Amino acid sequence: MLKLKANTAVYLILIIKKLSSRRHFCVRTILWAFLFISTCLSVTQATAEHGYINAQDFQLHGFISQGLIDVNGSDFVNDDGELSTELTELGLNASYQLTNTLRFAGQVVYLDGGNRYEKGFRVDYALIDWSAYNDQYWQANVYLGRFKNNHWLYSSSRVVPFARPSIILPQSVYFDGFRDIAVGSDGAAIKISHSNDTLGNFDFTLSYGSSPISDEQTNIILGDFALGEAEQDYETQGSFYWQPSFSPWRFGFSLLDSDFNYEKNTQADFFYDSKFSLQFYTINALYEGEKWEFSGEIYQQRFVMNGFYEPDYHVDNIGQGFYLQSRYKVNKALTLLARYENFYLDKDDKNGKKLEENSAGQVPYYFGFHKDMTLGLNYDITSNFSARMEYHWVNGAGRLTPVVVPNKLINNSENWQMWAVQLMYWF
Amino acid sequence: MKEPVIKHYALIIMLMFACLVTSQVMAIEIVTHHQVIDSQLTKSQLRRIYTMRQLRWSDDTVINVFVLPNQDELHQRFAKELLQIFPYQLNRIWHKLTYSGLGVAPTIVSSQQELLQAIINTPGSIGYIEKDMLITLDDKQDTINHSEQNKAQPISGKGVVNIVKIKS
Repeated sequence: MLKLKANTAVYLILIIKKLSSRRHFCVRTILWAFLFISTCLSVTQATAEHGYINAQDFQLHGFISQGLIDVNGSDFVNDDGELSTELTELGLNASYQLTNTLRFAGQVVYLDGGNRYEKGFRVDYALIDWSAYNDQYWQANVYLGRFKNNHWLYSSSRVVPFARPSIILPQSVYFDGFRDIAVGSDGAAIKISHSNDTLGNFDFTLSYGSSPISDEQTNIILGDFALGEAEQDYETQGSFYWQPSFSPWRFGFSLLDSDFNYEKNTQADFFYDSKFSLQFYTINALYEGEKWEFSGEIYQQRFVMNGFYEPDYHVDNIGQGFYLQSRYKVNKALTLLARYENFYLDKDDKNGKKLEENSAGQVPYYFGFHKDMTLGLNYDITSNFSARMEYHWVNGAGRLTPVVVPNKLINNSENWQMWAVQLMYWF
Repeated sequence: MKEPVIKHYALIIMLMFACLVTSQVMAIEIVTHHQVIDSQLTKSQLRRIYTMRQLRWSDDTVINVFVLPNQDELHQRFAKELLQIFPYQLNRIWHKLTYSGLGVAPTIVSSQQELLQAIINTPGSIGYIEKDMLITLDDKQDTINHSEQNKAQPISGKGVVNIVKIKS
């Protein structure tokens, strides 16, 4: 075990040394800090081996991952199309049980995904968990503060490299451009779980809150020409999951309703005050067998926009999408992945022709959809150190940033590809 | 005529012996801290405890769950045979709890000896261990408090764990 830890440390040092350019100075500093903390924690764990009295009262966990990603034919990660190291994900979290019913938990993450989302540190979650009711069959918890979106199949673990099924998640549902808004909220959530010996497990979650939208996030969604302020008014979300007793299947659905507004910069702005409304519905199924795992999510969104381009501009369209994913466990360590997804912005304009016509040719038709065929593999080197690689064949530019004012100069081709490799360590 | 019959019986005896040896090697015991009052659990209860859907014992004390690393052979067998769940499913549930702030996952220890030590030292704890390992350790120190003993008055004192009966 110690040997493995030493190997991992040597590997991390090598990665850090390779990040030699000035541009990566910050990342290097963070990685060194992380390595130092991890080493300290290992020592603490070793000395704590003889006393587990408060084993679950205070817990500290984290993860570190670094990858290489190469995109050809789009600005998904970078504008120049070069091989990129902008695939860094670090996280450190703590959980402290204050009393029998109150617990504090928080996680800080550092993310670098190039154009996919804002680079830097963020508080992923920071919450008080009140265990309001607890018996053999029922659990009711109330979460206050910044909580994670726990409603979609992979939404709560999308930030955690080894807990999600692939390096890049299906962009139809888990669009990185909306990541910081969709990943969680500041507000309150309630989760009720019921376990029944004959009927199975039931989980119901309801949440209400809003997410702060940074200037960088505004640019990612609206483009560099939007100089005003975007704000999320509220987001209400609910979900229900059912797993029949001792069954490999699990089924769920979720509903989301959210309003945003954009206040133009009164000094100078290319756009106008506007209101956006989004409703998002998903149904999902998961099958977990010994060798095979299947999962899929179907979703529909309704997007309403008033203003923005012109004071009386109005858009009301329904987008749809789905993905189907299968994973095959070759042995204890190796898992193969195959996935297909299909998404279109407007169900009445699946090939994007109307989008091109309505924008007088300014927005090419292929911005109206996104189809992705993915093949990949995951290899568990140890119980907490894994390697992953995948290849994507993408048709369409419907899930590229910026969203509202697309970059058609870089994204000038309907088909594009990407591959990525990633190493992940966690404790 | 006699020779094949003898061969036949010999084969059966050998098979029975093999089964006995195999079952002895394969046996997994569920152990708890000596103060835990629940002396038997159903498979559903055990599964609820390990999937973190039951967090308290019947006397409302907190359950502290201990496990071996994911790739450990005993952990793999425990998950499949006793919980009837695949180890990667447990990982998915535990990772979700640990890295999204929803709850707390079991504590991972690196060996069976360490796990037993953790069970002895931690009130409300539960874990699993190979029967052979328990017997070996029990020879060295008086470790086991078998469930047949009177649970209403648990034996207190260091170096004692309870063995829990699992009902199907």
